[in-house]
Amino acid sequence: MSGSLILQSVVLGVLLGGLYALLAAGLTLYFGVMRVVMIAHSAFLILAAYLAWYFTSQTGLDPLFSLIITVPLFFIAGVLMQRLLISRLRPATLTMMSVLLTFSIALIIEGMLGFVFTGTQRRIRLPYSGTSFEIFGANVAVVKLIAFVLAAASLLALYLIMKRTRFGQALRATIQHPEAARLVGVNTDRVAGYGFGLGLATAAVGGTALALDSTIYPSLHWHWIGPLMAIIVVGGLGSIPGAAIAAMVLGIGQALLQLPLGTTWAQTVFYVALFATLMLRPQGFIGGRLAQRF
Amino acid sequence: MMGHERREGRDLRVGGAWRRGASAVVAGVAALTLAGCLSSGNAGGGESDEDGPIQIGISLPLTGDFSEPGKGVQRGYEAWAAYVNENGGLLGRDVELKILDDQSNADRVASDYEKLINQDGVDLVFGPFSTRLVVPAAQVAQDYGFLFVEPAGAAEEIFTQGFDNLFYAAPAVAQDHYDYLADYIEQMPEDERPKTAAYAAMDDPFAQGTAYGLKDRLEQMGVETVVDEVYPPNTTDFSSIANKISDSNADILVGGTQYQDAVNLIVAVRQLGYQPRMAAFSTAPTNPEFPEAIGDQTEGIISPTGYTPEASWETNAEFVEFYTEMHGTPPNEDEANAWTTGQVVAAAVEAVECADASPECQQSLIDWLRENEVQTVVGPLSWDEAGRPQGAHLIQQYVDGEIKIVLPEEAAEADFIAEKPAW
Repeated sequence: MSGSLILQSVVLGVLLGGLYALLAAGLTLYFGVMRVVMIAHSAFLILAAYLAWYFTSQTGLDPLFSLIITVPLFFIAGVLMQRLLISRLRPATLTMMSVLLTFSIALIIEGMLGFVFTGTQRRIRLPYSGTSFEIFGANVAVVKLIAFVLAAASLLALYLIMKRTRFGQALRATIQHPEAARLVGVNTDRVAGYGFGLGLATAAVGGTALALDSTIYPSLHWHWIGPLMAIIVVGGLGSIPGAAIAAMVLGIGQALLQLPLGTTWAQTVFYVALFATLMLRPQGFIGGRLAQRF
Repeated sequence: MMGHERREGRDLRVGGAWRRGASAVVAGVAALTLAGCLSSGNAGGGESDEDGPIQIGISLPLTGDFSEPGKGVQRGYEAWAAYVNENGGLLGRDVELKILDDQSNADRVASDYEKLINQDGVDLVFGPFSTRLVVPAAQVAQDYGFLFVEPAGAAEEIFTQGFDNLFYAAPAVAQDHYDYLADYIEQMPEDERPKTAAYAAMDDPFAQGTAYGLKDRLEQMGVETVVDEVYPPNTTDFSSIANKISDSNADILVGGTQYQDAVNLIVAVRQLGYQPRMAAFSTAPTNPEFPEAIGDQTEGIISPTGYTPEASWETNAEFVEFYTEMHGTPPNEDEANAWTTGQVVAAAVEAVECADASPECQQSLIDWLRENEVQTVVGPLSWDEAGRPQGAHLIQQYVDGEIKIVLPEEAAEADFIAEKPAW
């Protein structure tokens, strides 16, 4: 096994990990804010990817411009979904019932995509899809770098919102202790709605990033939800930095393990990590005060 | 739809007999139904009325994983039935298809054929789509002594199950798809042949079969295998496989692919700057979406194909015309193989002049196909004792932006590009 092969794998792993980090960030946010297990998160990713593809095929513009439409659209959809559906679940069984509810939403999205766009597998044709440049002998594909930069920028924005704004403070307060947050005057219902919208907005960015460099089809989301769930458990449920670090570690781990083990076994890294976490440190390796309550 | 009265009539008759026989016994409903099925099959199979339509039972994956190709096969079967009925039917009788949806489920497909043969008393059966569903379906047909011609099960494992009623209605089994390409490489001067080869195949009997068929041939010629990767069907990220292939810098890249895997793999190796001298992928390049997805970089990409509307076989022009009139688009491979299945069974039926469920008739159909060659829209077909067709696939290649037949030379529409331009 040559050094250049390993270096290239690390580069690919970092790029992949960045995308995983963004995709997992939204998922952990829902859980953090509302203890909602959002099975439909990856279905919304694929929906955003389809919207990006449709946008490009209709207008001929770069798919990144579709973000101008999809990010606000998904934010509003998220707020509405939380206010109209999730908030009606009984708090005592919220986590469990949210699995059923969001599972059905995932099926509806998948069915609608199949109905509207057919099951034909689509790919956005980009003039720069195969373009890459070399750093220290490793090739970095432009599309993967764009996806990585999008992911990094969104995570940074999410971090700044959480740490530097009043809304972020209220959101974190809601995550840490909803009753206490209400006592000091936080409107936790509204904050929860916006938090959900924020999570769905990351799905819009993530889906667009995904669409740049993959072939999409309506049932693709099932391939994503498993690894993403594993990532947020390993990172500690509800912890965005935890999810980001776990995503990076597992992404690089997957890319490197593919060299000796092949593709079939390398994808088990997520589930091995999931089992190991649940056995050794169920609250997650990073962050994750929340999981202790379950 | 059309044959409802006849079927219901028979069911009532049998049901009535059952009620009388079973009136004394209050047993489990399931047991009754099962026994009812069996007696219905015997009663129905023997006394098929000579003037009614010939009923053909089919189960297809109209929903689930294989729904896209499944619907293609359905269109092919329906077009064939419409064509036959417009042209005087089979043995002077109309044909009528009874199509069930097996939801791409292997358990379901077996019970579907069980039901078609037993309960509905069909006269003939046609096969479903894809290896995974063909094996259980063929087993049921075998148990009842039915002739089983199938449009889509090219993997070797189908022909090693010991079926003596099965015929694959396509030019070649998966292993032989690349034969013309292998022949071409074999006759190249030794110093011009590729020296190293990289293989990436989906963990799927058909996709792997195509790639490994070529691998066996190339290894015999002394082409060194430098990468041999198998990936699960749900793989969407091909960057690591591409990394290994690119690192090996193999002369020829062979993909045992279906669709999205080929597209993703091609983009991934291009991102790593890998330029093979030859690149061959099964299935994907013949898909109309493929040039949409890959863009201008398709030039020189090779693919074996079992069917193209341009092929000059006897009955093909008529088929393409009829199908295009019916659906507005020319047929693909799935539709063509379904049509071929119809042609093969029809040829046997016309030759032995029977079409009913009796073991004698089914056996004579089987025996006739063993001995004879049938002219079809995918060329003349004949089979070995396990039902393997004795041909090879045409080799197509993207030449000047369009996919064209390049091998064998006698069927070629364009010259083979031996040195693939950069992608």
